[in-house]
Amino acid sequence: MGRIIGIDLGTTNSLVAFTDAETRQPRCLPDPQGRTLLPSVVSLDSAGAMVVGWPAWEGLLHQSQRSVYSVKRLMGRGVEDVQEELKLFPFRVAPDSQSVIKIELGEPGTAQKTLTPPEVSAFILRELKRRAEQFFGEEVTRAVITVPAYFNDAQRQATKDAGRIAGLEVERLVNEPTAASLAYGLDKHQRALIAVYDFGGGTFDISLLQLEEGLFKVLSTNGDTHLGGDDIDNLFAEKIGQEIQAQFGVKVSASPDLYQSLRRTLIAAKHELSQQDATTIRFKLEGKGEYTRALSREEFEGWIAPIVERTLGPCKRALRDAGLKPEQIDEVVLVGGSTRLPLVRRRVQELFGRKPHCELNPDEVVALGAAVQAHILEGGVTDMLLLDVTPLSLGIETMGGAVAKIIPRNATIPASASEMFTTYVDNQTGVDIQVVQGERELVKDCRSLARFTLKVPPQPAGLPRVEVKFLIDANGILSVAARDLRTGQEHTVEVKPSYGLSDDEVERMILESIEHAEVDFAATQLIGVRNDAETILRATTGALAGEQAQELSAEELRRIEAARAALQEAMGSDDHRLIRERLEELNQATHNLAELLMNTAVRAAVKGKRPDEVSL
Amino acid sequence: MMDRIATEKQTARVTSPLQCWECRTALADEQENGIHFCSQCGKVQPLATKTDYFSFFGLTRKLGVDAAQLEKQFHQLSWKLHPDKFNNAGAYERDLSLERTAALNDAYRTLRDPAARTEYLLRLEEVRKEGKVKQQAPPDLLEEVFELNEHLEELRAAKRSGSDPRALDEQRHQLEKARGTFQHKLDQVLAELTNQFAAWDALLDTRPGDAAAKRTVLARMNEVLNRHSYIRNLVTNVSDELEQ
Ligand SMILES: [Zn+2]
Repeated sequence: MGRIIGIDLGTTNSLVAFTDAETRQPRCLPDPQGRTLLPSVVSLDSAGAMVVGWPAWEGLLHQSQRSVYSVKRLMGRGVEDVQEELKLFPFRVAPDSQSVIKIELGEPGTAQKTLTPPEVSAFILRELKRRAEQFFGEEVTRAVITVPAYFNDAQRQATKDAGRIAGLEVERLVNEPTAASLAYGLDKHQRALIAVYDFGGGTFDISLLQLEEGLFKVLSTNGDTHLGGDDIDNLFAEKIGQEIQAQFGVKVSASPDLYQSLRRTLIAAKHELSQQDATTIRFKLEGKGEYTRALSREEFEGWIAPIVERTLGPCKRALRDAGLKPEQIDEVVLVGGSTRLPLVRRRVQELFGRKPHCELNPDEVVALGAAVQAHILEGGVTDMLLLDVTPLSLGIETMGGAVAKIIPRNATIPASASEMFTTYVDNQTGVDIQVVQGERELVKDCRSLARFTLKVPPQPAGLPRVEVKFLIDANGILSVAARDLRTGQEHTVEVKPSYGLSDDEVERMILESIEHAEVDFAATQLIGVRNDAETILRATTGALAGEQAQELSAEELRRIEAARAALQEAMGSDDHRLIRERLEELNQATHNLAELLMNTAVRAAVKGKRPDEVSL
Repeated sequence: MMDRIATEKQTARVTSPLQCWECRTALADEQENGIHFCSQCGKVQPLATKTDYFSFFGLTRKLGVDAAQLEKQFHQLSWKLHPDKFNNAGAYERDLSLERTAALNDAYRTLRDPAARTEYLLRLEEVRKEGKVKQQAPPDLLEEVFELNEHLEELRAAKRSGSDPRALDEQRHQLEKARGTFQHKLDQVLAELTNQFAAWDALLDTRPGDAAAKRTVLARMNEVLNRHSYIRNLVTNVSDELEQ
């Protein structure tokens, strides 16, 4: 059957992890540079190939209109849902986008491409799949992928489609907060109530679980799939953007590249303010000077408090649904990069009256949990079991556009409901059924999942008896089956998703992606390795000019010079493997030099960035 | 246009399995005692047509249910039936696991909650037929309901107009007080409902064939249940508004 990997497909970063069968410990897999995080960014290069991860993240600053980030916010959504965020994204949405958003990359006259959110996500998944394959030295085709607990059916289906397009059999979608609780393992024996507060790049989830002897039972979940660190960054950029406009008359948001650059400066400032009480923001404006501003943590917290406050409503609703009071919670776990904000930690501590857990790296904990669930599915763990819930009530449309709830929110999944239908007029041959998700009483206020028509043989009104069974599986995804009770005949129900790809479309995308996979992979590698090579070349040149170089033997200096020249020559080719090889050789040759320079740039530049610097 | 004619939440799909699909061992009638696996080979079995939520757990239709015992059974069956345990099994067995786990979850969700349990029994006994029960304010509560709705409307209006925080807090406080009153009433109605469980359970023990007596008890419970669901909706609406 092959091994199953665990993937955290995040708004900002994605990771892949697996569980070591011997130690039963999950771990995240690094890329060749030792980084476990993969920025969830893809971009189109000038030759029409797709570049994924770090190179795309670096490219955001000078080719933002060819790049897509935070695509998770668009998964399973219609154009009308995302008008607000589209204003902030540098990329365009195709005018013919309907039930699925189509993202247009590239300007007219250059290489162009139109991609749906699942296709964009598939690029990220494929990169992680490849990372795992390199690590194991064998093909990997099965994965557990995490999703926000509050994702609706369409968003889950879109994630599953992304997996299929990337050549992965999605064995299970696991809710992120639940995955985190698996990673923590916590106390597996005594009965305990835990709250997982998951504030990530683009989504917020709260889940309450009851743990007892390896059984992880979710009692309730709530959240907001439109609330995350992105919102804090956008607000921050808006505030500072206004100040820049007032002082310099420059409208930063009018230039996508400049806006991305400001965002990145402010994200760095945000991280600093998590560590210290104040920071100074500096932002260069070409030809106009430099914007400089001191910012205290207090002032920053004053700005973002309303966003953090928005997480508390879902927490209270989850508590109410579980029939619990905050003081009954035994443990609180923090997940997601945004929980590094001191304000968030204070608010959570106030609400639950206890200090939250944050021992595990909040960026990695979800992927680790996915790897635990993967190992459970492989049959490698038999003393842990996860019982999750559906986040939203499932309903069907009744007379007058009202909703009849058939499966309530927080029902343990798999869950099902059967409904009986009959006809209203004689010889009626079909009946339209609309399925919705949401808590409101009217169809128009809920999320339409699907419509379908039940076919019935012409009979007098009221005579047909059709039983429709709605089933939510362990992934939180709905399926529908119908049966004529008079004839016993099963109806095939063709469910057309209101927001999502059809099976045919997914099939076509799978074929296309296989066709382009090699080209895209090579393009990504090439850009990545060229960036690395430029860094080491620069560093080597600098180091050779420095005084430490005097301590090296002539022989060693000659070896370094030869390796440098060889790499320089390889840079002229498009062969990423050759460049990587030469780069490694130069790396070897400069080993002693780097030791001498331990405190300066060479090693650091080659090893890449610290994980906590990594955010969009 | 077609209409739902009933909300029948039992998962009844396959005709009663007389023998194991795998080893052909004859199986007892599931309706009586909640058999999930073949006694010979241990394979999970299809759901029988007549399985209802009570029989799924091997219970009679008594309303007095031991919550701790039910939870224990739910956990035990989850460990055995959950699709995670069948990920490497054949397609048919995986389907059976999925179907039976869904039924387990549906049954537990319904039976653990006294109001949902009562409502389910009333449907099984065909006392409640329509998918949706008319929501009508109980006459003796009309005045208080009216007042509560006024508070609700005031808070909504205050939120819309962006009133100052102090005024909003005052509205919230009023509404919270009103919610407390109704929560108290809800607890009372629930106690009233569960008080009647004993009468029903005794009937099943002593006069299971007395249809008229059963109808009387069920009709009384139906009334209390209507009142309960009305007040519960009110409390839910108020809570939603308060926590937004
Ligand atoms: Zn058998």
